[in-house]
Amino acid sequence: MSQSILDLCRSGVAAALRFGATGAEVYGQSADTTSATIEKHDLLMAKTQQETAFGIRAFVGSRLGFASTNDTDDLERACREAVVLAKASPGDPGNVLPEAQTIAPVEGLYDPESARYTTDRAVEQAIGMLRIAESVDRRVVIGDAEFAFKRGERAVANSHGVAASERTSLFLYSALATAKDGDRVSNMDYQFGAARSVAEIDVEPIVRRASQNALDSLGAEPCGSSFRGPAVLSPQAVESLLVGLILYQANARNTLRRQSRWGDCLGRKVATSSVTLVDDGRRPGGVAASAFDREGVPHAPVTILERGVLASLFHNTYSAAALAQRNTAHAVGSAQTVPAIGPTNLAILPGSASKDDLISEIGQGLLVTRFSGNVDPVSGDFSGVAKGAQLIRDGRVQRAVSGTLIAGNVFECLETLSGISQEEETIVNLTLPYVRVEGVSVTAA
Amino acid sequence: MQQLLERIAAEAEDWTELRFQARQTRTLTVRNGLLEASTSVRLTGVGARVLALGVFGFASTTDLTEKGLRAAVAAARSAARTSAAAKRDRVDKLASASLARGVFPVDARDPLDAHPLEEKLALALATEARVRAASAKIISAAATYDEIQDEKVLVTSDGASARIFDSKPSFRVLAIARESGDQSLGYDTVGVTGGWSDLFAARTTDELVDHAVRLAVDSLSAPQPEGGTVPVVLDPELVGLLCHEAIGHTVEADIVLGGAVTADRIGHRVASELVTLCDSGLSPYDPHAVGTLPVDDEGVAAGRTVIIERGVLRSYLHNRETAAYYGVAPTGNARAFVYSDHPIIRMRNTYIEPGKDEVEALFAGIRHGYYLKGFAMSGQADSNAEFMFGVREARRIMDGKVGQLVRGVTISGNAFSVLKSVDAVAHDFAWEKGAGSCGKGQPAKVDSGGPHIRCTLTIGGRQE
Repeated sequence: MSQSILDLCRSGVAAALRFGATGAEVYGQSADTTSATIEKHDLLMAKTQQETAFGIRAFVGSRLGFASTNDTDDLERACREAVVLAKASPGDPGNVLPEAQTIAPVEGLYDPESARYTTDRAVEQAIGMLRIAESVDRRVVIGDAEFAFKRGERAVANSHGVAASERTSLFLYSALATAKDGDRVSNMDYQFGAARSVAEIDVEPIVRRASQNALDSLGAEPCGSSFRGPAVLSPQAVESLLVGLILYQANARNTLRRQSRWGDCLGRKVATSSVTLVDDGRRPGGVAASAFDREGVPHAPVTILERGVLASLFHNTYSAAALAQRNTAHAVGSAQTVPAIGPTNLAILPGSASKDDLISEIGQGLLVTRFSGNVDPVSGDFSGVAKGAQLIRDGRVQRAVSGTLIAGNVFECLETLSGISQEEETIVNLTLPYVRVEGVSVTAA
Repeated sequence: MQQLLERIAAEAEDWTELRFQARQTRTLTVRNGLLEASTSVRLTGVGARVLALGVFGFASTTDLTEKGLRAAVAAARSAARTSAAAKRDRVDKLASASLARGVFPVDARDPLDAHPLEEKLALALATEARVRAASAKIISAAATYDEIQDEKVLVTSDGASARIFDSKPSFRVLAIARESGDQSLGYDTVGVTGGWSDLFAARTTDELVDHAVRLAVDSLSAPQPEGGTVPVVLDPELVGLLCHEAIGHTVEADIVLGGAVTADRIGHRVASELVTLCDSGLSPYDPHAVGTLPVDDEGVAAGRTVIIERGVLRSYLHNRETAAYYGVAPTGNARAFVYSDHPIIRMRNTYIEPGKDEVEALFAGIRHGYYLKGFAMSGQADSNAEFMFGVREARRIMDGKVGQLVRGVTISGNAFSVLKSVDAVAHDFAWEKGAGSCGKGQPAKVDSGGPHIRCTLTIGGRQE
């Protein structure tokens, strides 16, 4: 490619203006991806992908159209189509572009060593995951796993002077483990890991954790009796039960859609005072770290919940303008989507108690490793299966239980949350502790 | 393009598959009176898969020049050879089949492109406005129109050369109601393989609006159910979901080889003899099911496969690799979502065949149970057939009569145990996957459905 991605974005902006847009933004991304996949405890295949894509937002007054293409030679046609779509659309005063700001680069996003990383090394890492699982216990089977690396560049330019680009490298790995002992089969456990540089790659912790969780659920028996009581949630269960609803409620777009209860709760308590939630798009080593968001607005740390009080919503340019609040630079998305709103590197800050302390205060309750179920982000009701669950009796984990359903309401859980652990785990872009919630309905199958 | 791909495949040293795909996707979303998105996405590229030394390698590219395509084939071949030393179980051969040659158009008599953007936008705007006008309790509304149009050219070095066209539009309606600080959500969707008028043949946009609004408003005052194991009547949407998520994935041959509960169960009774369960690339009983495809992405004709015949497990779902392993014919289930995905075993339209009972007869005899309709939010199933699904609409059955709505219902259990508990199958039928899709590392547009059935399963609920 003779032109840089940023140059192509700039030329796309000029083309859209030439076709009649009054404002335009072009986001471009280019990536070379290589992966090695494990299936059935054996190498499945190695795979490479090369793709460059552009997403064009054309504004005609307050009217907006979006077109995307993955063919550089097709960029001008896509710019024309975005303008045609804008002209056919009704207007919306929230359709505005961000102004240019100074963007400080984030160190460590790109590792030059990644340029020398080859397919055979990805295969080695994938096979290495099998050997690690076997070293934990021969009963562990890795049903699915992947080691992937991606080198790329992203750029954004708009007609208000935004022009930014950065190179990135990213290594992503995951493992799904099951344990088998004769006729007994455990629940599956799925763990993820990521690194920005070759030196930081470490697949061992995730494979060990997935293997151990699978082993722990071997021989699980039904819960016995139904009850209502406390549950200690693992970081992965915290993600699927609590974080999804928090992100939905704190997404300013959902306030505008009148789908959030937290829309008018800024400065008010929405959780117990032990809960502090921060998001940092510039966090060193963070998987979601980058200097600027999908619209070219510079990232900065933001506190969303401070001691249980809603301190800020997640915003992009549209929602910030529509609600007259500060843009928090949380525009997310690819070249094939219009900028949405989402977190970067998000963390619930750890507490002072240990995980064992949280368990020791429970008479009868459940330790939930993974939650497979529904959380209604509007009502807050949740209901589903507690996977890899352990029954807690008299302050101690008693035994693994199977087929156990849990139900409750996340808003109530946040208000009655009774403990946060010192221990925390990083799940891709989320850093989360163990959390104890109260009043969970536990139904024995 | 087809001639170029044929030439490259013919010259390849190893078995080689080349798949060109040009995809055009359009989306219009209207929410609360504003156009939230009007988007057009075009994806074009070629995926190259090579089988060398008993291992597959895959590479994709957007460089459609001869040089770019040959480089992709070389990259796929290199990936395969690099992997060979680490691979335990080699692919000895691919099952032979009558591979597709020719042009395979979609059954869409009213093409999407014949309807201008303005018409589609007007429908989305009017539909969303009807949701807001339907009740004073509605505080948020949305209507979304989506379309996917594909052109594929599939060529393999052992003889496939097919040009395939596809068209899959869908429409979704969402309503959120609020009363006394309580909020609830209702929605409905339709989706087809076909053209514009096919999309609304089963349900009009007015019917989608009525259903979504009624669910949202009625759920406001609905209590949560008591948890427990109870008799239920499942509607075609949940029957389809059970077929697809909880049974279908466990009979995908790659999952079977990974240790699914169905391994070594061919010929065994796994369900009530009232149950015959199939997966088909055709659209039996009702045309335009979303997962309809004439030819799969290995060039195999996508016909009907009987998975369970009157309660007995008869077949898995295969690609050419697993069919060779099991010594059976491939079933046409190899699918890739976009050019950069390699084909894997996927379902198409999965269903239980209709029985003989009247729908009303299924409710009779249930003293205390639930009528469960539609799929809500999310679900999951393991390869051991244990499943969990959210239910969109659940009503109590008391002494054979359908009554009060309850909300927040989740069902779970072992799908084969549930199918063994089936004691009545109605004679109705509907495809009900709507706008949804299936995820297995990559998405796939699929459909599922069937008749109403009566069975027993576990419902999650509140404990006091």
